[in-house]
Amino acid sequence: MKQLRFRFVLFSLVAALLLSLGGVPVSTARAQDVTVLPVTWWGSQTRHDRTIQVIEMYEAEHPNVDITYEFASFNDYWTRLNTQAAGGQLACVMQQDYAYLAEWASRDLLLPLDEYYESGAIDVSNVPEALLAGGQVGDHYYGISLGTNSQAFILDVDAFERAGLDLPSPDWTWTEFEETALALHDALGIWAMGYGLEDVQMWKSLLLGLGELPFVDGQLGYEDDQPIIDYYNMILRLQAAGAYATRAEQLEFTSIENSPIVTGLEVIRYQWSNQLSAVWNAAGPDRHFRLWHLPRPEGGQSQNYLKPSMFFSITAQCPNPDLAADFINYFTNSLEANDVLLAERGVPISTVVREHLLPSLDAAQTEAFDFLARVEQDFSPIFPPDPPGFSDFLNNVYTPLFMEPILYGQITPEEGVVILRTEGNAVLQAAAGN
Amino acid sequence: MQNVESLRQPSTQLQIRKRNRKIAQTVLYHLTVGLVGLLMLYPVLWLIASSFKAPDEIWTQVNSLIPSQLRIENYITGWAGFGGFSFAVFFQNSFIYAGLGTLFVVASSTIVAYGFGRVKFRGRTFWFTLMMLTLMLPGQVLIIPQYIIFSRLNWINTFWPLLLPRLGGDVFFIFMIIQFIRGIPMDLDEAAMIDGAGQREIFLHVILPQLKPAIITAAIFSFYWTWEDFLGPLIYLTKPELYTVSVALRNFSDPNTVTNWGAIFAMLCLSLVPVFVIFAFFQRYIVEGIATTGLKG
Amino acid sequence: MGQAEAGIPITDLSETADVRPGARTRLKTKDFKRNDLAGYLFISPWLIGFFLFSLIPIGISLWLAFTDYDILGDWRYVGLQNFQQMFFSDVRYGRSIKATFEYVFVSVPLRLIFALIVAMLLNTKRRGVYWYRAAYYIPSVIGGSVAVAVMWRQIFGRQGVVNAVMAMLGLDTVNWLGNPDTAIWTLILLAVWQFGSPMLVFLAGLRQIPQELYEAASIDGGSSWQQFFRITLPLLTPVIFFNLVMQTIGSFKAFTQAFIITGGTGAPLDTTLFYSLYLYNRAFVTYQMGYAAAMAWVMLGIIAVLTAINFKLSSLWVYYETDVR
Repeated sequence: MKQLRFRFVLFSLVAALLLSLGGVPVSTARAQDVTVLPVTWWGSQTRHDRTIQVIEMYEAEHPNVDITYEFASFNDYWTRLNTQAAGGQLACVMQQDYAYLAEWASRDLLLPLDEYYESGAIDVSNVPEALLAGGQVGDHYYGISLGTNSQAFILDVDAFERAGLDLPSPDWTWTEFEETALALHDALGIWAMGYGLEDVQMWKSLLLGLGELPFVDGQLGYEDDQPIIDYYNMILRLQAAGAYATRAEQLEFTSIENSPIVTGLEVIRYQWSNQLSAVWNAAGPDRHFRLWHLPRPEGGQSQNYLKPSMFFSITAQCPNPDLAADFINYFTNSLEANDVLLAERGVPISTVVREHLLPSLDAAQTEAFDFLARVEQDFSPIFPPDPPGFSDFLNNVYTPLFMEPILYGQITPEEGVVILRTEGNAVLQAAAGN
Repeated sequence: MQNVESLRQPSTQLQIRKRNRKIAQTVLYHLTVGLVGLLMLYPVLWLIASSFKAPDEIWTQVNSLIPSQLRIENYITGWAGFGGFSFAVFFQNSFIYAGLGTLFVVASSTIVAYGFGRVKFRGRTFWFTLMMLTLMLPGQVLIIPQYIIFSRLNWINTFWPLLLPRLGGDVFFIFMIIQFIRGIPMDLDEAAMIDGAGQREIFLHVILPQLKPAIITAAIFSFYWTWEDFLGPLIYLTKPELYTVSVALRNFSDPNTVTNWGAIFAMLCLSLVPVFVIFAFFQRYIVEGIATTGLKG
Repeated sequence: MGQAEAGIPITDLSETADVRPGARTRLKTKDFKRNDLAGYLFISPWLIGFFLFSLIPIGISLWLAFTDYDILGDWRYVGLQNFQQMFFSDVRYGRSIKATFEYVFVSVPLRLIFALIVAMLLNTKRRGVYWYRAAYYIPSVIGGSVAVAVMWRQIFGRQGVVNAVMAMLGLDTVNWLGNPDTAIWTLILLAVWQFGSPMLVFLAGLRQIPQELYEAASIDGGSSWQQFFRITLPLLTPVIFFNLVMQTIGSFKAFTQAFIITGGTGAPLDTTLFYSLYLYNRAFVTYQMGYAAAMAWVMLGIIAVLTAINFKLSSLWVYYETDVR
């Protein structure tokens, strides 16, 4: 009896499965006069929903266009995209990242956008040139920014009040930062800051503030290591005083929602400006945050630059690049589309769109828009996109051979910069050799 | 049987002591096993509790197992999925993949295991070694070549790249069933062979019935591993309507923008239900094992 | 089961194989040819699958190991350069080997021991054992999702439950995730917590041991300890062997848990930089697929050697009912 019942269950399971398999499309037939435009992006649920809504709006206005789309989370996206590139299955419109743009452009996987800018097919008349510059690799534009970002220190306004300190001036120096951090720690007993000073993007920013470039011609672009040494010594001093989290303590916080500022364990937090929403959401609506310029070296220039948070690019294999350009134009300039997107990818590059959206923003986004406006008054020009081999540099040299050993006290900053230079140049050279 | 009868005579004290010891043993058993069991479950309870918490509460009230209010919103927002594709679609895809995948792989592995485990043939050691070797290569390097092959066949965004290879069995299960087969005494085989049975008959009527625990175990493993697998579906099922639950879960989280953690936890808890149900339903078949060896028949 | 029926007490099972009726007259050569066909027929699913789906990709991956391939298009032949870099100049490679070996040699024995103990405890008809089995198996089912990572990090955080318990017991709290000495233990403990799979295999193996043996033994006055060492353990050795081999192989390839819990970086200080994690990084993050392929084949070599040792040693302690060498 049991055997029979067992077999029955098994067979009905199989039958159910086979039936449902029949419903899965193995291939889709399409009408002859409909053009297909594949689009792909990364993000989380909010972005997926809003982007799909915009896509449907575009399809409603263009009935002969069928947009197929795929999306994923950031890491999965690149795993999938790399595989698709190898297999020749790329979409037409793909979301790109500043860190990979140069790699992909140099492999001729992306189409230059220059002709579309010039002809107005992608209307950039309302976009300041500084915001287009980020998408340039060599002499051509390969991606259009979908939102502007800048590095920021998120300040917990209430904590500053409790400590009895004024908010710093926007052009504060690293010396003033160190004083403020120590004062905050003395007054409140928590970290002034928990993360960010050792991040590679801060290292790049520091060089920018010194008037240098991180990479030139596939090598490290600066000669003088002393400022880096001083900077890291500052970090070590702050750690010793308890005003800055040690690396060991940092590793516990891996997501924005989990960051110490949310639970009141730090006062200043380093993030990109479009990440303020996530922080504010996690911390709750009764907190108060401001976005602040980065500190700068003594006598140096602003460490802030206007970075495209992400791009849309047209892939070289796309059979319908003009259609792709038109979609991108809609995405960038249409007011209805942006009402839906609501600056989720960053502050829109078109000034017209920006002004249009201002009334509908929540507290975090209003602050982000305001911050970007302030940065536009005082910023340094963006450096060229990262050279090929940058991810090798970051993952196999900067973090494991330079930054972590210094922060764990295994080597001194003086020893570290030597390693950074020799090993760093070695991997950059190896990558450039291709 | 007569010995037992004679045991009825002695003092009730001995009986009482024996019974007390039995009770003590039972209590001790449940205490230790139950307590450690709770320890095993604690993280799961944390997940379930978090699935009902509001986003800020998840991070600010980390250790508490009791949410301040039972927010069903997490489940509703989570279930909604992305852009009109709800988790109903994702669950269906996962069932197809895990269900058919399990069926294919277990059936196939059993057959192959019998070949390696019971049949002597030339080259057996060679092929067995080769098979084990394929297990030892980290899969990441095979992804790209396999993808290129399947894309040439135009099988992207179908279930074929994921299901067809499973008809070849899986080395893990093959090896596992081989080990079980080798634990089965050959007496019945010989008896059947003397009666004129061929390999096929021996497989179907002698070995297969005795392999039930092994097969069920393999099925449970296969189902849950396939249910969890995301790398395959990630690159072969790229259209949103084909996403499996494992892939969809990851689409909620993004390191750079808002992540709806409540939704992730909620959907994760839901996705555990089928696996749990399958386990609960099938585990008794593992347990039943073999009634008798059938020699008396 | 000739001996039991003959009423001879079973004292040493290793002798029964020889004493069984007809032991010497086993058939072999007479059916050799026919068994060839049957053998290949039975393993044909695997053979076909191997030739269709595995052989070419494996071949390609071997060839890639001698190239510099960046996935996005270009490749060039570089001979042994990848291997040279791996063994002589790549500091992180050495760290990944160290981390992986540490992980394998600690977590596998722990996992198997727990799995066996719990399987034996749950191999009973007591009430509620169904629920217990589910409870012990559930952790394994949660596997490798992002939520597990979050949860595990919370539990081992500086203000998490583990530290809270330690504080209650009067011990110093530990920075589990950030301290290079302890970070790998969060992963080891995760592996041990998820011992459900080997436990299930042990359970199935235990159920396969005929009850009559135990009954006969207790009638003959054997204590539970004797029963364990004389009946259970020997008859369980094929399954123990299986679990040992598979867990070892699996642990060497461990990836998902490390990937989601440490964010894929191997932090802190590369103490959690598992081999597969480092391989994935080289393949998909820094676009060095050729190097990754070289790493993969070296790993295959290492695992193959260890597994071969396992197999060779197995003849010393694994008892198969059916083996007549």
